[in-house]
Amino acid sequence: MTVETGPVRRRFGGGFRLKLFAYALVAPVVLLILGLVAYPFLFAIWVSFTDMVVGSTGQFVGFKNFEYLAGTSTFWSAIWNTITIVLVSDVLKLVIGLGLALLVHQNLPGRGIFRSFLMLPWAMPAFVAFLTWRVLYQPIGGGINLILTQTGLYPEVIDFLGTRQTAMASVIIASVWRGFPFWFISILAALQSVPKELYEAAIVDGANTWQRFWNVTIPSILPVIIVTTLLSSIWTANGFEHVWLLTAGGPSDATMVFPVLAYFGMQTQRIGEAAAVSVYMLPVLSILVLFATSLMMRREE
Amino acid sequence: MASLAEVASAAPINANASARRRFITGRVISYALLIIAVILVLFPIYWMIVTSLKLPREIYRVPSLWPKTFTLDNFSKLLADGQFLLSIRNSFIVASTVTVISVVISSFAAYSMVRFRYRFRGVIGRLILFAYLTPGSLLFIPLSIVMAQLKLGNSLQGLILVYLTFSLPLSTWLLQGYFRGVPRELEEQGMIDGLTRFGALLRITLPLSAPGLAAVAIFTFTGAWNELLFALVLTTSESVRTAPLALNYLITSDVLPWGPLMAGAAISSVPLMILYFVAQRFMVAGMTEGSVKG
Repeated sequence: MTVETGPVRRRFGGGFRLKLFAYALVAPVVLLILGLVAYPFLFAIWVSFTDMVVGSTGQFVGFKNFEYLAGTSTFWSAIWNTITIVLVSDVLKLVIGLGLALLVHQNLPGRGIFRSFLMLPWAMPAFVAFLTWRVLYQPIGGGINLILTQTGLYPEVIDFLGTRQTAMASVIIASVWRGFPFWFISILAALQSVPKELYEAAIVDGANTWQRFWNVTIPSILPVIIVTTLLSSIWTANGFEHVWLLTAGGPSDATMVFPVLAYFGMQTQRIGEAAAVSVYMLPVLSILVLFATSLMMRREE
Repeated sequence: MASLAEVASAAPINANASARRRFITGRVISYALLIIAVILVLFPIYWMIVTSLKLPREIYRVPSLWPKTFTLDNFSKLLADGQFLLSIRNSFIVASTVTVISVVISSFAAYSMVRFRYRFRGVIGRLILFAYLTPGSLLFIPLSIVMAQLKLGNSLQGLILVYLTFSLPLSTWLLQGYFRGVPRELEEQGMIDGLTRFGALLRITLPLSAPGLAAVAIFTFTGAWNELLFALVLTTSESVRTAPLALNYLITSDVLPWGPLMAGAAISSVPLMILYFVAQRFMVAGMTEGSVKG
């Protein structure tokens, strides 16, 4: 199968040694991934069908864990909240990321400085970002309440994270703050790689700014937007820090999401049920991952 | 905006003036929006720093946007018992070790996949990408069991091993992209001059991919530095806590901890902020080419 020729072939005395060399180079990564990702992945699926608790290997119990979870209100909150967070924050990040990318993409003096500043949330550690937002949202000591009351925008102090009506929006705003730079910079790179000739041709054809945006810009950056949406959805749906550090799923499950629910299951030592929580996500997750991998592989070719 | 100018110059004079006015309005609106966005981005960071420098009185009782007295009390309170410094040290050990291991073996793997053709190459490529996208929220339960069986639970070695689950796929995926950009002819030239193939990898491909290696190293370090969920599940004793974990436990304590918490947050972001300002160019390029969460 090797197609090496010339000096290489001579040095290694033919294809076999070369192939062996190729396999030897790739082996450590493959073995570690098989052992640390593939095996645990399958193991998690197995565990979700057992009544495993800490200290026992557990018996096969069929779909019992899945049935039990489906009967709890926390589980349904987690489904609903996970979907809400993913959809709402994807839309917000797209709008903000695209908007800012279009602004910075103009020939504005000082655009480099704006770009550096707008990337800052991405460069911060996620746990630092969410702990900071936790403080910002506090009724006492929080910057947002201070601004709202001092400017007279809203007279009363709001317990953003402790109130059912505001907790979810607060989590979403914080994760949009931390997550939009990824969209911003991906879309900006895509904008910069759109061939100028396309715009010139559109101007010759008499297209106005809007028509150029819809007929040239959007189609050219659509592949990037699709991949970004898929990746961001996978990461957001499986994100743990943003909910854990802000609300830990509360108040009364108002912000409960799958990863936090699985973590709580783990803490109560009922590993079978905890694993079932993660496994419940698999069908949707697999579709997203399959789409994302095939698009990323194609882009790579 | 050249196009607008061209259109304007071709038009009659009053149309020219109106185009000019439109252009200026556009500029003003653009800058206004960008400045608002930058303020919204900076305010939380400002609040973190300012809260870390405030006396408790100004945090809780008479809150203010700008502190009247600046103090380093929060920092000394946080650092007093040495526990937080220990967790920073732990974070450094874990993140650097993961970075070194990951960059070395991933560059071998990426090189093999870019330069050679063999039967399972496609499968391995897909496996690596799947592994990259397999979320930690799915793996933390089985990995905690596996680590306990390997007697690596509650240890920095265990964390290092577990962090390879996200760093190896990411590094390999990114490095493939960089290695593809190194012309094969350069290596062949080197081999004619007497290098072995492994020598060509070390002496030609790796140095030419230095920006890529830098980006990959930074992403790996950042990923390990930021990780919370695995650390939360795998470690129990204080002596092996990493920085995110130490801060996580600070908010579960009874006393109102915002001052020291923000001091810890500020300290924890220093290494990454330095990396960002030094290597922003590589990072942004790497991020857009390889889709990196950061």
